[in-house]
Amino acid sequence: MQSEKALERRETPTYFAIVFLLLLAVMGMVLPQGARSLVTHMMVFCILAMGYDVCFGLTNQCSLGHAVFFGGGAYGVVFSILHLKMGVLSSVFLSLGAGFILAVIMGLVSVRLTEAYFVIITAIFFSVFHLLAMDLTWLTGGDDGLSLQLPSLSFGSVTLSLYHPIANYYFVLIFLAISYLILDRMARSPMGKIFVSIRENEKRVQFLGYNIFRYKLMAFIVSGMFSALSGGLYALTLRYGSADFFSFHWSIMPIVWCLIGGLGTLAGSWIGVVIMSLFQYYVSGWWTYYLILFGIIILLILRISRKGILGYVISRRLN
Amino acid sequence: MATGDKLLETNSVTMCFGGLTALDNVTYSIQEGEIRGIIGPNGAGKTTLFNVITGELKPTSGKIFLRGKDITHFAPHMICQEGLSRTFQLTLTFPEMTVYDSIWVGVNSRAKWPWNPILLAHHATGLSHMTREICRLVGLEEKMNEFASNLSYGDQKILEIAMALSTQPSVLLLDEPTQGVSPKEADNISEVIEKLSEKMTIILIEHSMDVVLRLCHIITVLNEGRVVAEGPPDEIRKNEEVQRIYLGEIS
Repeated sequence: MQSEKALERRETPTYFAIVFLLLLAVMGMVLPQGARSLVTHMMVFCILAMGYDVCFGLTNQCSLGHAVFFGGGAYGVVFSILHLKMGVLSSVFLSLGAGFILAVIMGLVSVRLTEAYFVIITAIFFSVFHLLAMDLTWLTGGDDGLSLQLPSLSFGSVTLSLYHPIANYYFVLIFLAISYLILDRMARSPMGKIFVSIRENEKRVQFLGYNIFRYKLMAFIVSGMFSALSGGLYALTLRYGSADFFSFHWSIMPIVWCLIGGLGTLAGSWIGVVIMSLFQYYVSGWWTYYLILFGIIILLILRISRKGILGYVISRRLN
Repeated sequence: MATGDKLLETNSVTMCFGGLTALDNVTYSIQEGEIRGIIGPNGAGKTTLFNVITGELKPTSGKIFLRGKDITHFAPHMICQEGLSRTFQLTLTFPEMTVYDSIWVGVNSRAKWPWNPILLAHHATGLSHMTREICRLVGLEEKMNEFASNLSYGDQKILEIAMALSTQPSVLLLDEPTQGVSPKEADNISEVIEKLSEKMTIILIEHSMDVVLRLCHIITVLNEGRVVAEGPPDEIRKNEEVQRIYLGEIS
């Protein structure tokens, strides 16, 4: 009944996401140790990629400041375990809170601007936070970072330790699945539709009676919170946090992931994560300047389809 | 000041861009249920008047009232919520969204919680019913699932009108709805406008005299930012000054 084409655009990523998540659930059992930890990292990045897609893919705000949320989330976990002696789960929620606060602060200033100005101001926020994290060594541990002793998780009588690789794997996988469910639901909701229409034509949305500043801020905050969640899980997985979590790497990578996978498809960005991570893992061992090769591959992918890999699949299925 | 029976009123509105006066003391008003046309040569300030009324530009001086309420300093989205909606001369649609979704977004702006992040959009039956109704009204129901970018230019113009309608306005401002479309499509569009004029107040900017003379009760002629003449079609046709500055210019 509902416009089938619009439905189709969301259906393809959903099928892909279900298959991907099921595959991950099986792989956790069968993979050898080294590959399992690589996949665990990938899943953490998938949350960051998806969070970033809400900002860039859905509302067309190309932020260079997401390293702030990633780092903020990581330190949210580190501080809450080190100083506040919190449990693992509550530390993850605190990292979400950290992401929320950082996104509100950054968003209130930057969301009013568009295009190049938005990019620049988010980049400035990133530089400020990166420098602060590097310099305040008494607080953040600087480049050396702070390492964590993880308390074990307890659900009633069952206790789980994240030191166990399989426990860590499924812990992250559950967060990935929940994040996907929440964000996919949001993308299909009235709010998601408003986000997409802002991407399509900001001015027109204003003349349909929407306060676009408010909606762009909402998207920015949601995006920031999920990026912070990713940072928090990364700190839990590596069992430490350092100023490196604020580095430019974490601002650039989400853009690359989303562009390769397909902007605005949420799950599409996972393809970008997988390709990039595998590439980094295998090719960087052979050749130091592997990023040059990677740049060429990105160019080729975008030359074939400007909408990325999943975007290409969707447009093929539509026609 | 604004009186009760005037729905929309501009009170000596002046708009200057640096040294250029685009609108010079324009006092204009429209009553409930009327359909009025604004004509004038290129650069007369017609679109600027719309931009000032809808809040895209703030007038240099003067005031704008909607139902006696001062809306001069309202932001565009607030003016839209007050019940004033417009179309754009160069179509501003959502290229990668379907016709249905484009209209749905406008209908949703009147919902109780337009930002609802939990509800599934297609489960809001009231909204989809209304969206279908608007599609039917403007004759886009067969193209509901087309992407806006795949529509013909004439259909995009109709989609523009449908999107303006979707916010349930009481005043509709149409900025050259038949500009650049084929004669057949233009007929189609003016039929749609005629249908709408039974339900709401319309102000129409047009270049095509046929459409304006046929549809509008009262026509206002703007030239160089000033109101030159105002009256029913026959009177405008006979007005010598209008013939000189507008009709004479064309022929």
